[in-house]
Amino acid sequence: MARRAQVPNKSSALIAMIANEDTVTGFLLAGVGNVDLRRKTNYLIVDSKTTVKAIEDAFKEFTSKEDIAIILISQYVANTIRFLVDSYNKPVPAILEIPSKDHPYDPAHDSVLSRVKYLFSAESVASGRR
Amino acid sequence: MEEEDQTQTSVAAEAVEQEQEQERKRLEEDNVVQFLDSLDGYLTLIDSLSSTLRQGWMELASARHSMGASRINGALLDLKFHSAATSLQVTGDEVDYKLKQPHFALCKWASSKNGKCCSGEEEFMEDKLQMKSDSPQLRHRSPQFSGTLEKSPAKNGAPLIVDDEVQKERSKSLSMFGTLVSPKLRAAQLSFETALETLIEIANMRSTMLSTSDQVQKDLEGPKG
Repeated sequence: MARRAQVPNKSSALIAMIANEDTVTGFLLAGVGNVDLRRKTNYLIVDSKTTVKAIEDAFKEFTSKEDIAIILISQYVANTIRFLVDSYNKPVPAILEIPSKDHPYDPAHDSVLSRVKYLFSAESVASGRR
Repeated sequence: MEEEDQTQTSVAAEAVEQEQEQERKRLEEDNVVQFLDSLDGYLTLIDSLSSTLRQGWMELASARHSMGASRINGALLDLKFHSAATSLQVTGDEVDYKLKQPHFALCKWASSKNGKCCSGEEEFMEDKLQMKSDSPQLRHRSPQFSGTLEKSPAKNGAPLIVDDEVQKERSKSLSMFGTLVSPKLRAAQLSFETALETLIEIANMRSTMLSTSDQVQKDLEGPKG
């Protein structure tokens, strides 16, 4: 299971963002923005013109980078690539779904909560009683 | 005589077995309590994050209103090579010597000489003193969480001195929107810094939740499965 793998120690790891302009701007003000020598950024600003493919590519890129430890993704954006987010199960980078201005947080869609809600299902309770 | 010895031995063995069974059940219950605590903590922190972000967006909108939309937009974001001033430290923690879960610590404005790394579980009192905090208290059931997530009071009530270097880094970050910026933009910056701290707590709580849920699942499937 991926979560049993060794967790590498990292210092100066980055926080990546896939969110709308205001959210990204706010976190850039907090100093998380990083631009490398190839002018690649650690964020993707999602607007009405951003395609699902672009979001998928950004997600795949950020999850494969060694220097990124956390990925912040607006939940409504995560919903467009839900299959990709739900199938991701490595401990690092951690995927955190955050609310956006126009789309409040919905625990029913959170991939982390989906992973643990089976513990509250009748099946798991019944198997524990056998 | 021999029969008595055998009876005593079997009684002792049964007693040891019962003790082990009770210990196993106690550990299982501990895991369940830890899992429920972490789940509760996760949801509470998400709620706190939502209100902090709402405050930040409101302040950003106010700044945009006073400075003009052309002065605060994505086109002004700095695309020249620069490293993140705020970064993370990730370590692999051991839980019960069996599972490794990542632990995240935020290093705010670390490019400054006095950049600080603080655990996601500690409050960063400097900025909290400057802002009203309405985040709800986390409930604790298990001893593991008591004392680690409680808010510590301001140390002896003494005012905290904001580091000059950190202020310089903050100003540098604000400078992408011009030299003179609205106080609302500075307030938005602090709100998003607070949101970052909450996010690190969420990340750590998430790690704990996932590892304890694995443990609970193992316990359910264990000897009974």
